[in-house]
Amino acid sequence: MEGVVAGLIVITIKILVILAIALGVGAFLTWVERKVAAHIQRRPGPMVVGWHGLLQPIADGLKLITKEDLFPGRGNRFLYNLAIVLALVPATLVFALIPFGPEFEVLGITVKPILTDVNVAILLVFGLGSLAVYAIALAGWASNSKYPLIGSMRKAGIIISYEVAITFAVMGPLILGGTLSTYQLVQNQIEQNLWYVWVQPIAFVVYMFSLLAETGRVPFDIQEAEAELVTGFTVEYGGMKFGIFPLVEWYIEVLTLSAIAVVLFFGGWSPINIPFVGFVDPLFFLGPLSPYVWFLLKVTFLFLFILWLHWTLPRYRIDQITEIAWKVMLPLALINIVLTAIIAPLIWR
Amino acid sequence: MVRFLIFLLFSSWAIISAVGVITFTNPVYVILWLLSALIAIAGIFFTAGAELVGALQLLIYAVAIAVFYVFVLTAVPWEKALKKGTHYRAEGILSFPLILLLYAEMLIVFLLGVTASPEGKFRSLMAKLGNTEVVGSILFTKYFFAFEVVSLVLLIGMIGAVLIGRKESQTYENDTP
Repeated sequence: MEGVVAGLIVITIKILVILAIALGVGAFLTWVERKVAAHIQRRPGPMVVGWHGLLQPIADGLKLITKEDLFPGRGNRFLYNLAIVLALVPATLVFALIPFGPEFEVLGITVKPILTDVNVAILLVFGLGSLAVYAIALAGWASNSKYPLIGSMRKAGIIISYEVAITFAVMGPLILGGTLSTYQLVQNQIEQNLWYVWVQPIAFVVYMFSLLAETGRVPFDIQEAEAELVTGFTVEYGGMKFGIFPLVEWYIEVLTLSAIAVVLFFGGWSPINIPFVGFVDPLFFLGPLSPYVWFLLKVTFLFLFILWLHWTLPRYRIDQITEIAWKVMLPLALINIVLTAIIAPLIWR
Repeated sequence: MVRFLIFLLFSSWAIISAVGVITFTNPVYVILWLLSALIAIAGIFFTAGAELVGALQLLIYAVAIAVFYVFVLTAVPWEKALKKGTHYRAEGILSFPLILLLYAEMLIVFLLGVTASPEGKFRSLMAKLGNTEVVGSILFTKYFFAFEVVSLVLLIGMIGAVLIGRKESQTYENDTP
């Protein structure tokens, strides 16, 4: 009985921590993005609210929540609201499958810093990730307006194309790791003394392209192309209902997919890797905290890399985007699978 | 006990969703009910301990297949989506005996299958390897021929789709200026 109670308490704490990360950090990342974007373009960015605009997300949140709730005259109110739920829930659920560090012991209870260590985690990540299509399609349809509809059709097409490429791209690391569980993948990379990015550079490039496409980041943000479509499928949404969509797409999804990329290609919580030799840990003085810091550092680095791309590149045309997906990324991913299958026995040993 | 309760939850959810699919008239709602039914079935797979099948159900049926319905339906104009016409009433009544026959066949296959299934044959294998590994090893040894035939069928389907969707290299109507 005590075991069950302890287990329930541990799970509740994990859920609270994950929700705090997903929603709290997600909102705070708007500030990070605005600051990074501003400095890339040589301007100061938000400076007025708090120290260097640090309280800006709270001010924005208050403004969005207290705005008048507008609704298009002949839209479908139920589907219009359902789209928001369908956008937020699957994206947040993916956090349940991300391992933040190695297991540790507190008060005699062994705790794995992952909510559910299912043995098909990677499949679930992409299943939940592509459920986002429903939110987008419904938001476009329920608004009963042409710009949202065009935006949602474009975005749905992009997601469907790149979902195929990303699924084939992650096959490479999965073959090398020999498992679908995110926790076990990291363990195997530590045991094999190898970050999979060293032998899977093609898969990583395809993964990054698909990440940008699925989260609607520049160069693939054609669904919201301000000059043509105002803001795409969110045109008819106002206040916090509008705020949810960028929050989910630009922050929560980018965070989860970066974390999955770290798990698949950069050995999760392991320190810097020298291929086939071992790991070098310049943060050894942090002791048992060092794995968590490494994980956070890697995710932050990837997130900043994506921001850098977003605020530097111009945008592709829609036909170029789908052409890249089917004619470049998919064949590359397939070639990568064959190459991986050839070199895999060398790495398994 | 807990597992049985969860199974009851998911199965009643699936049945209610299935009823929703055939009673609602707005096609977008129908697709949402179908999605809900597919997710409930994935839940049933998970409670039965078949994680791989559950995840594939979610990935392939709930996302890849149902999303194409949504894709088509979002292009349907509002007036058509909300139109309440007759939904082939006469054909429905005519097809009723056929449905009964189908159900009888399912019942027979199910009853025969229970007696013919290899009881506990895979259980030792399941305990040794994981769920996913067992599916892979059985698929690529015992049922390898069936697997290859299915992939051949898919290849033929793909070639057909490419043939239909290709651009004509030359058009004949434009010969006259």
